[in-house]
Amino acid sequence: METNSSAAASQTDKWEIQVRKGCLEMAILASLWSGKLYGLEMLERLEQDAGLALSAGTVYPLLARLKADGLLESEWVEADVVHPRKYYKLTQPGRRRAIEMARIWMRFSAAVGGLLSPLLKEEL
Amino acid sequence: MTNSGKVDSTRVDSYLTRVRAALRGLPDRQIDDILRELQGHALELAETKGVDAALRSLGDPVDLAKTYRAESEIIQAECSGSPLVILLGLRHASRSRTGRFLGTVLYVFAYANVLTLWAAAADKLFSPSRTGLWLTPGDWRSLEWVTNGNPPAGARDLLGWWLIPAAVVGGWILRYFIDWVARWWLRRYRHSEGVSQLVKRAS
Repeated sequence: METNSSAAASQTDKWEIQVRKGCLEMAILASLWSGKLYGLEMLERLEQDAGLALSAGTVYPLLARLKADGLLESEWVEADVVHPRKYYKLTQPGRRRAIEMARIWMRFSAAVGGLLSPLLKEEL
Repeated sequence: MTNSGKVDSTRVDSYLTRVRAALRGLPDRQIDDILRELQGHALELAETKGVDAALRSLGDPVDLAKTYRAESEIIQAECSGSPLVILLGLRHASRSRTGRFLGTVLYVFAYANVLTLWAAAADKLFSPSRTGLWLTPGDWRSLEWVTNGNPPAGARDLLGWWLIPAAVVGGWILRYFIDWVARWWLRRYRHSEGVSQLVKRAS
């Protein structure tokens, strides 16, 4: 019985990881909405603001992809810092993509939220 | 051994050396750019959380390099006209090993047909009586493509010297079509898979 419940908890954990992975691109674009960030700063922002604790090994290749797709642009800043930092910012297509994703996310979230609210009420 | 700030960067340097080795083959400028970013990340994080945490956050150096390499090779292939570059990209463009293998084999097979057409055009130049599309009069089922071999008895060469422009142009059209399909597949794979495969590779 205990084995079944730990297996179910493990499945839930895996599902949660998949959900978080699914919104990663949107989260990165959203984190850059208000201005430019470099990688480490972005990782901290995502963890603090969205509870997304990501590894740098995941985020850096993803930033390279978003840049190759023309959604981000980058610049090196070396003055006044100990280590050179590569700052990323949204391009115009990147801003448009971020808005589209945010709209889809909010619509989806509201629709699924309506479906889920009876479950949570019952639990309370 | 180099020191940056208060951090002993020997282990970071060693990590980056392994990443560099696994990235070999990518353009130097791209490799330098990647390593510079990873170095900045590792050294800055190491100052507050230690070298162990900094390197742990980047993961295995070879896996990290593989992720960058796969991504780079797919992107290059998407806009390349070189069969070799497209072939390198196709090696990554499927979820499964079988899919990647099949994609690669299909591309090579299709290209072999292009080369066969061009070889036939060249053969026609040097041995016109032994290369052609041969047909025995009155029997359409006897239609036979022969490259540098003995034609069937009593058959006549259907295309004659026209075989040369037909094979050259046909080969180019086929090549264009194959590359178009391969690049379409690469783009479709990268966009339909979104970040999931990228994250999976990096995890």
